[in-house]
Amino acid sequence: MVVYILKRLIGIVPVLVVTLIVTFGAIRALPGDPVTVMLSDHSANVEMADRLRAEYGLDRPVLQQFVDYSTHALRGQFGFSYRYVHVPVIEVLGTGLVISPLLALAAIFLALPFGIIAGTFAAVHRNQFADTAVIVILVIALSIPDFAIATFLVYLLCIKLGLLPVAGWGSLAQAVLPVAVLAVPSAAYIARLSRTFMLEVLQQDYIRTLRAKGLGERLVIYRHALRNVLIPVLTQAGIIFGGLLSNTFVVETIFNIPGLGRLAIESVFARDYPVAMAVVLLFVLFFVLINLMIDVLYAAIDPRLRARMAAA
Amino acid sequence: MTADAEVAAPIAARDLPPILGLWRRFVAQRSAVIGFVIVLFVILVGSVGPAFTPHPFDETDLLNTWSPPSENNMLGTDRLGRDILSRLIVGARTSLVVAVTVLAITLLIGVAVGMAAGYLGGWIDGLLMRTVDVMLAFPAVIVAILVTSVLGSGETTVIISLSIVWWSGVARLTRSLTIVLRQELFIDAAIVSGTPLPLILWRHILPNIFAPILVRTSVGVGFIIMAEATLSFLGLGIQEPQASWGGMIRDGLPMLGADPYLALFGSLALGVTIIGFNLLGDGLRDMLDPRLQGR
Repeated sequence: MVVYILKRLIGIVPVLVVTLIVTFGAIRALPGDPVTVMLSDHSANVEMADRLRAEYGLDRPVLQQFVDYSTHALRGQFGFSYRYVHVPVIEVLGTGLVISPLLALAAIFLALPFGIIAGTFAAVHRNQFADTAVIVILVIALSIPDFAIATFLVYLLCIKLGLLPVAGWGSLAQAVLPVAVLAVPSAAYIARLSRTFMLEVLQQDYIRTLRAKGLGERLVIYRHALRNVLIPVLTQAGIIFGGLLSNTFVVETIFNIPGLGRLAIESVFARDYPVAMAVVLLFVLFFVLINLMIDVLYAAIDPRLRARMAAA
Repeated sequence: MTADAEVAAPIAARDLPPILGLWRRFVAQRSAVIGFVIVLFVILVGSVGPAFTPHPFDETDLLNTWSPPSENNMLGTDRLGRDILSRLIVGARTSLVVAVTVLAITLLIGVAVGMAAGYLGGWIDGLLMRTVDVMLAFPAVIVAILVTSVLGSGETTVIISLSIVWWSGVARLTRSLTIVLRQELFIDAAIVSGTPLPLILWRHILPNIFAPILVRTSVGVGFIIMAEATLSFLGLGIQEPQASWGGMIRDGLPMLGADPYLALFGSLALGVTIIGFNLLGDGLRDMLDPRLQGR
């Protein structure tokens, strides 16, 4: 197990190196000189420009800058913002560091039970009306982008019915719609997976045995079959989390939530690349770590996989 | 085919040429036919439609902004008084052009990389597949932010970003198909008779794997259209005055209270189109692999 975890940790290194190179490259690819952007009106002031350049480390050789950037970034120091001069990137990120993961977590806790119940329900009623209805809803939920879903929901719930506030962040009422919109595609994906796996599990011999010995259908499904559905769903959690993370960008933009996604997009347009790239780095790191955790968890559950991985 | 399998096959399908059998299996799926009709309609609108828009899609009319549906503007107008229907039609073309371009680029790169990895094996395979693994760690939005930082936003940025995200999947698929095919006797025969490597790949491997790859990647067109719309919605994608559904929804969203038509019609066009492509894609997949049916 330890060998397996170590191997997987080493596997992360190339992803990190590529991300660091690419984000550093993007920061440096700024058309023109970042100092000019920072100084805007005062760009003719050579003394000020030199001081800033030294402060931001822009006067050193590029390779040295990259090494500095990488070592600092890995310690959680992302340097200073270009837009808010002298303000560390970490301060610009501020509450967004909490808000975006919170959104994603709330959404996954909403999506998991909904998705698994809907998928199980459809599988149990295979080829009946209920199954067809669930499938139709799933196709729609998986096909319509979340911002289009949000458009319909905001129009209906906030504007026509006046039930919820349109946008903003701070109160519980303001969080309902963003979390719901974020949860819809994930719930649909989980439901489709659960349905597929449940159909497979229900054909297994041990299920037939349980039924043959006279166990109630409800117990067969919820006590015995469901457990075996959860494991394969777990393996897909990486894809689900990846989708959630990307969708926080959209949801934060729609509902005007001061999270990391909205900040990253704002920063790109404001040419505040250190901030944007810090978000990119955080997202990739988070995504990679989540995937690692899932794989380790899965290996802990399934000894066959552990043996195969250790041998490879 | 063994005699047993012959008997097991449905009688109706047995005497038909294979293509007709596939067609029957396809038509038997109601949802796939609905998807097919939607896709056909969108392609028709996107290809021929722009020539017949009621108004030029970028014609502004500042005295007639945010108009609700009227006799002159069937679906209303946007912030600059541009006709929403005309822009929806041109938006269909934008979506299709991006999707087809991305598909072409990812096929070109993905198939080349996948064939090289699958056929050559060894360290080349290891290197290429590790690269693919790394690429898969980057979600589309993150890639788009990176590309936008360097190139600025626009159609090229969308196409490049989505190609960067999508080629790795095609490469994986191609690799697995190539590995299976490489063990066939006719490949050995080609090697023994001294066929040069590029010719083996081009004449013996490629023709045998291209059809399944094409079908399975086309299944993803719905997702490419969705990703393009998402990027345009975030402002990273297609820029004004070019029309894109994602951009239209972005424009319409703040006006949802007073004048919802732009955002609602944009969302509707986008939603129906992607549903159509996904239904068709699922149908094609089931048609080629009936075991998956109903899954």
